[in-house]
Amino acid sequence: MVVVWMLMILVWRMLSKMLRRFGRWALVMPVAGMAAALFGLNVWTAATILLALLLAVLLGLVLVGWRQAGRSGALPVAMLGAGICGLWTAASLVRSWGAVGFSMLNAFTIQAVVRGPAQRIVVESPVAASVHAAGPAVAKLRGLVVAPPGKGANFNWSGPSWRVYYGRAARVARPHVVILGHGLWWGRLLILGSLLLLAVGLWLSPRAVADLRALITRVAPRLERWRREGNWGILLVPVTSFGLTIFGVRPWTIAALVAAVVITIRWPRLAADLVPLVLVVFAAYGFMLVSRWVPGPTVLAAPQPTQFGAISVDSSQTSLLAGVEASALLAFGAWLFPRTIGAHSRAKPANGHEVELAGRVQRLTETRGHALDAAAAELRRIERDLHDGAQTRLVALGMNLRALERMLPASPEAARALAAEAIETSARALSDLRLLVRGIYPPVLADRGLGHAVRALALDTALPVELDIDLPGRLAAPVESACYFAVAEVFANAVKHSAARRIHLRIEHADDLLRIEVSDDGVGGADPAHGTGLSGVERRLGTFDGILAVSSPPGGPTMIAMEVPCRLLSPKTSSCSGTG
Amino acid sequence: MQVVVAEDLFLLRDGLTRLLSAHGFQIAAAVDTAPGLLRALLEHRPDVAVVDVRMPPGFADDGLQAALEARRQMPGLPVLLLSQYVEELYAREMLADQMGGVGYLLKDRVFTDNQFVDAIRTVAGGGTVLDPEVVTKLVGRRSHDGPIARLSGREREVLELMAEGRSNTAIAQQLFVTEKAVSKHTTSIFTKLGLAASEDDNRRVLAVLAYLNS
Repeated sequence: MVVVWMLMILVWRMLSKMLRRFGRWALVMPVAGMAAALFGLNVWTAATILLALLLAVLLGLVLVGWRQAGRSGALPVAMLGAGICGLWTAASLVRSWGAVGFSMLNAFTIQAVVRGPAQRIVVESPVAASVHAAGPAVAKLRGLVVAPPGKGANFNWSGPSWRVYYGRAARVARPHVVILGHGLWWGRLLILGSLLLLAVGLWLSPRAVADLRALITRVAPRLERWRREGNWGILLVPVTSFGLTIFGVRPWTIAALVAAVVITIRWPRLAADLVPLVLVVFAAYGFMLVSRWVPGPTVLAAPQPTQFGAISVDSSQTSLLAGVEASALLAFGAWLFPRTIGAHSRAKPANGHEVELAGRVQRLTETRGHALDAAAAELRRIERDLHDGAQTRLVALGMNLRALERMLPASPEAARALAAEAIETSARALSDLRLLVRGIYPPVLADRGLGHAVRALALDTALPVELDIDLPGRLAAPVESACYFAVAEVFANAVKHSAARRIHLRIEHADDLLRIEVSDDGVGGADPAHGTGLSGVERRLGTFDGILAVSSPPGGPTMIAMEVPCRLLSPKTSSCSGTG
Repeated sequence: MQVVVAEDLFLLRDGLTRLLSAHGFQIAAAVDTAPGLLRALLEHRPDVAVVDVRMPPGFADDGLQAALEARRQMPGLPVLLLSQYVEELYAREMLADQMGGVGYLLKDRVFTDNQFVDAIRTVAGGGTVLDPEVVTKLVGRRSHDGPIARLSGREREVLELMAEGRSNTAIAQQLFVTEKAVSKHTTSIFTKLGLAASEDDNRRVLAVLAYLNS
């Protein structure tokens, strides 16, 4: 088994290496090779394979259209599944091929398995050559044959079913005769078709994976919010159903389940508190079960076998497995304690509203700290930039002008040079100030808001950016600013680290929630935990109760979703989109 | 030449009117708000308008919006925008009607009054003047495939200077080549960008637009 696994891993490595080197078209080679091995190489097979490839390419083109419409998620998965099923079916036929040999002419052999009490079987075979080649026993099938079950040389008794060999274009005229066999002919087509399906499925799968990731990124902020708010009560019903595996379906277990449902809906906080308790109780029961199986003088009689979760406990070995399961339950329960009962008892609230408030206060304290830190750092940066830049240049300018004043009567030439220098210095000071202001609050953002500012940013970015902006008004200035710099940071990352070819940006505002999604087709590997860029963005958005979710596996693509709850200040009718 | 000046800061407005008067321009009106600018433009129909982007009442891009509105009502009205910042986005919006007679400069450029006055004259004559800062940014950006990618290095340099509003003579001086060579380059640029033979000024505008869109 291990060897087979290692072999499969090795083959997969080789395949992926080949894919990387030759692109996805490399898949054509194994398909063609397999087809050649199956059919032998002649004009007919070459023509068939070419036709099949043509069909595959046509199919591929249709699918590419589909995939650009962004609806390909399920399709490659279905194709891969169908391909694997096809190969599986073909593999199950291989045994019957072994019986008839592996030649071109055997392609006309069809295997039929007859189940039940067949009265008679009518077989017609107009293709003499194939019947002849399949052997003398089958040759008798030429023409119309009527035979009772179990009689005649043309039937081959094998166990509880009939196995019949007969020619191409045969008809089996009894309803209870089941044709399972597809013969080599169909088997080969099945293999070729399955391989093509697999190839196209594999070719399409990166997009499918990307779609899946996009879905995960879309859902991630909600999960994150859910995790933060600690809605663990929802686990009460599944945890209670664990009891069914131990005690079976009894009136009282069903009652407990119903009670769990009611508690989950009516008293979610109580439900959350009960989850770790129930887990611990089940774990204790599990340990008790284990202790009964411990060998030793205390065991007088073999205990009753019981079910514990997925394990049926009927020996000291299985009881150890049950022990492992109980430990897992205990660990999960212990992990949940501080997140449910612990948190609730710390808050000592009178009702659910106060729990929410307490959580909110904690979160606000955290984000206010971040906001103050960020503001302080920003002020320090501005102060430093002014001090080293514009301020210094203005001092130099003043000194120049003073020198100019002194020099003017004595040497007008030197004074002219000084004047030129002063002009240069003032231009530099202005340029410094421009840069500084751009870093504090970019002019287009101030003039027109987030949508246009992001468009201007896209024009400044070294990669082509596809924009899809649906923002029917202005947002509060601090939110606009935070989102603008978040997008700028993400763009800068994409340009610097991702080796992407293009960036896609989507901004939408609905139900008082601003949603920004940035994706690129680069190498991925972005991680908010490493480096300060993305974690800075996360903290900055956190000030506005915003959330950042990153999906960026090594190999790419990178998708970043941000959500900030905020209201539109002034609705306007226009929205902008375009490519820059 | 009749000029309307729009600038909300008194010192700068005063300085601009004095500078322009000294160079022989006639100041038709000097206004300090965007609505005032629109009224003055429609009333005086000047040869060129010098407009600050950020102005009252909104202190956003009100000046730009007033200039765009005026050009909608009087197509091709020459407008030179002045601003503390040059934004490519705004440059595109001004150039979008493909009528020419558009300038967009940093306020700093007023310091070098000869060049500034030349720019005003170019704009008044229907030409296009973009601030070197915008042009530098465009050059710094990775060029994607498109007609611009087909230009040679020298042709691209000529196009950059064209975008800054330089005449063939000025470009020839800057690049130390003969004027004939420059005109050869410009013809080649127009051909490569697929701009049919027409009035030279308009083609220069279209070439700059193609450059912006690269």
